[in-house]
Amino acid sequence: MRLDLAGKSFAGRPVLGPLRLAVERGQRVAVLGPSGIGKSTLLRILAGLDRDFDGRLEGRDRLAVVFQEPTLLPWRRAVANVTLPTGCPEAEARALLAQVGLSGHEDKFPRQLSLGQQRRLALARAFAARPDILLMDEPFASLDPGTAGRMMDLTAGLLDRSGAGLVLVTHDAAEAARLRAVPIRLAGSPAVPVP
Amino acid sequence: MPGVLSVLLLLALWTALAALAGDPRTMPSPLAVAGRVATLAASGELWLHAGATLGRVLASFAIAMAVGTALGLWMGRSRAADHWLNPSLVIALNVPVLVVIVLAYIWIGLNEVAAVAAVALNKIPVTTVMLREGARALRPDLDDMAAAFRMGWRARLRHVVLPQLAPHIAAAARAGLSLIWKIVLVVEFLGRSNGVGFKIHLLFSSFDVAGVLAWALAFVAVMLLIDLALLRPAEARANRWRRDEA
Repeated sequence: MRLDLAGKSFAGRPVLGPLRLAVERGQRVAVLGPSGIGKSTLLRILAGLDRDFDGRLEGRDRLAVVFQEPTLLPWRRAVANVTLPTGCPEAEARALLAQVGLSGHEDKFPRQLSLGQQRRLALARAFAARPDILLMDEPFASLDPGTAGRMMDLTAGLLDRSGAGLVLVTHDAAEAARLRAVPIRLAGSPAVPVP
Repeated sequence: MPGVLSVLLLLALWTALAALAGDPRTMPSPLAVAGRVATLAASGELWLHAGATLGRVLASFAIAMAVGTALGLWMGRSRAADHWLNPSLVIALNVPVLVVIVLAYIWIGLNEVAAVAAVALNKIPVTTVMLREGARALRPDLDDMAAAFRMGWRARLRHVVLPQLAPHIAAAARAGLSLIWKIVLVVEFLGRSNGVGFKIHLLFSSFDVAGVLAWALAFVAVMLLIDLALLRPAEARANRWRRDEA
């Protein structure tokens, strides 16, 4: 996946400046910067959710996104939340749920799960899509340190096993280091990479 | 329990009024009306005409819900569609029921198609307005999720969009069913030779109040049964995910 961004603005106000980013299977990149700098905007461009920018996005990689919020279907049970968006077979979904520690919760509705469990469900859903590159937007925010740490280890393990690449958006450099991701720092307005 | 009690109170009030009026021709007692319902049921006439009315209610209800939901979804999601269709919608909402029925009978003919179409046309704008509000409130984060995972449009409609619209669909169905059967009676009154509305037309010409009340109450009972046996269980099923326990 290769992004050659010339600029991105909202209603005439530039948010992101020139930026190049290339990620392949097995590579891990972390986009760092304070909140409000445009990291999530960059991730939405990479995910193909925002096509209104100057520049080019190339690549035919399979993508999966872990959003800032779990973004689950509240009216579908946990296992259906994995199978329906991804088309993955149910047996595989159950195996993935077991891997993220949700055995026994397969038939619960999302609101019957804790926030940490919902986040792990979103993680299982992302890996069920068999992505070449996983896009994550502050996936460990608002979790207590212990839960966040366990989820990072879980993410690292799943990335190792599947060989998927990673683009992680975070404000916390320690998260990037723990996932062994190459940091790219954004700063300024419009935001550009700084060494 | 309070429901049963309030119905009993209403019946007592009715009995008292009938006794006070002292004229069974204009104000028959509940017992007299119940007797008429029993006679109608025993002769088979009740099932024949109530069945005809129910058929028209269900046909126009299905058409109105399907078309109204599709239009409402479209107008709620697309600004352009909303701008272009809104004036027609406002006009359709404000055309009197009677005008639609009379025009349908004149243009299509005195037949079943005209009857069902006239009722559906009266209800479609109401459903459209209710579903448009629901479609405007669809969650953008779930849209993003569905787009990011490249869900097909069928799966999106079934698993992402319709569950969010369910409360609006249920409200439109509830309001729609009661509105529709009242319009169906007018349609039958004006141009059909069977159904509850047709029978009320005949009884009106002979000022048979007990007969009119018998038919009306019998059909109210049918609609109540549909609400209890079909709509409520469907709603309960659609709302299972809101409960806290597993």
